Amino acid sequence: MEVLKVTDLSKNFGGVAAVEGFSMIQRENEITGIIGPNGAGKTTVFNLITGVYPVDTGRIWLYGTETTRTPAHAITALGITRTFQNIRLFRNLNVLDNLKVAFGVKTHYTFWEEMARLSRVRREEKEVVNLARSYLAYFGMEKYADYFPYNLPYGLQRRLELARALMATPKLLLLDEPGAGLNPREIRELMGTLLKIKEEKLLSMIVVEHHMELVMNICTTLHVLDFGKKIAEGRPEEIKKNEQVLQAYLGDEV
Amino acid sequence: MEFYLKVLEITCLYTILVLGAYLMTGLTGLFSLGQGGFVSIGAYTAAIAYLKFHLPFPACIALAIAMGVVVGFVIGLPTLRLHRDYFLLVTFGFGEMVRAALLHLAQLTGGGLGVAGIPKLVGLPMIILSIVVITLIIANLKRSRFGRDCIAIRDDELAATLMGIPVYRHKMKVFILSSAITSYGGALYAFVIMFIEPNLFNWLESAKLIIITFVGGIGSITGAIVTSVVYYSFGEFFRFVDVWRDVLLAIGVLLVTIFRPQGIFGNWELTPGKLRFWRRKAV
Repeated sequence: MEVLKVTDLSKNFGGVAAVEGFSMIQRENEITGIIGPNGAGKTTVFNLITGVYPVDTGRIWLYGTETTRTPAHAITALGITRTFQNIRLFRNLNVLDNLKVAFGVKTHYTFWEEMARLSRVRREEKEVVNLARSYLAYFGMEKYADYFPYNLPYGLQRRLELARALMATPKLLLLDEPGAGLNPREIRELMGTLLKIKEEKLLSMIVVEHHMELVMNICTTLHVLDFGKKIAEGRPEEIKKNEQVLQAYLGDEV
Repeated sequence: MEFYLKVLEITCLYTILVLGAYLMTGLTGLFSLGQGGFVSIGAYTAAIAYLKFHLPFPACIALAIAMGVVVGFVIGLPTLRLHRDYFLLVTFGFGEMVRAALLHLAQLTGGGLGVAGIPKLVGLPMIILSIVVITLIIANLKRSRFGRDCIAIRDDELAATLMGIPVYRHKMKVFILSSAITSYGGALYAFVIMFIEPNLFNWLESAKLIIITFVGGIGSITGAIVTSVVYYSFGEFFRFVDVWRDVLLAIGVLLVTIFRPQGIFGNWELTPGKLRFWRRKAV
């Protein structure tokens, strides 16, 4: 089953082609990696899929529904959430509230009910608190519920961002350099976590990452970008041997 | 006694305006210098409806709120797409535009002479009841989805969008609700002070509302209310120090911004739960 289909995606920034003719298919319950040197256009691909930038050319489908021109917030509601390369938590909301925000798309009460705090609001709020706590527990962060995110150590902030993305109950999760700034032990933990999430939540994921160990170990398919163009696609073992990729990115020693 | 009552009435009136500004600037981070415009719209709509069209008092108030909502929607439509500084500039322009319009539409508004002879139909009980209701509404919104979305938008618009919040539509709701509260405050003002003129609410008054919100702490409704009451009653009680009044207030504001940048109350709220807790401790 195709979760996401992208065809011939292009984006220019003032004459510079950030992404050129990128196509990909994401299958259900698989992890796909997008790799490439700095400035290759990896994050731009994410920004196009999530609707942050309007696409120049190309089309995007999520579960057969075209989302090329769908506004970013509606795409989230349709089931794509993401994390950010530079962590973007809400600094004035505590850990629990950060998670609750992500569940907003799933709450049913209306603005008028909220104003008077009717029983439906109270009931749904109780549910959302329980759900948020269960996600915190899932990530071993229960005791940090009342902390403000920027008082947490960096590794936990990354974990919280992941938890927040899951809280929106996505079908497709986009992770933008989830391993950035983590030490080797934390990277191994992260690999375990991602595989566990994939199995337990039946999620599909696309990972943008520099960290070779991570992508080689958890991804089923890799796409390699260089200067906005896809230069290779395949299973990790194939990519490791690809001449063009080695030249453009991995260097000689790999 | 008469004097204190008057001071209290005015202070409480301004507190309603501060609550409107809190929703917009404190909670959602929209810096509007056009709040004064909405006060004038509310005050003039209610006063003219009452004096010229002889509508019953409740209808005047309702009309003032409706006018605030309509104008809020029309002004919000283009301006809410703008970012911080630009939004501030356009709302500033809006406030001044309202003032100019009131001055020049003399046939309807009385121009620079203002509108006099409004009966005093609003007293302290009604003002305080209004504060209670508005505070409850804002507090309810703050602790569920609506308020979380506001704070998320204030903190990081992009991340908020990607968490599924329709940022523009949400800002529109905030803007309209804030306009409604502010014009309501304006309408009450007309029936308390009994005289209105175009220069009562210039952009400086709008700026004061924002300053109070920040000094009280953008995370705290309690802070907005307490600071508002202190600020506006201080002005009245310290009339004898004359021009030094503004200097004293400015020093106070400076001290807070330097030593407590998160505002006096920060994120702290006075909740019924805390009140019960203290009472039990006292007993």
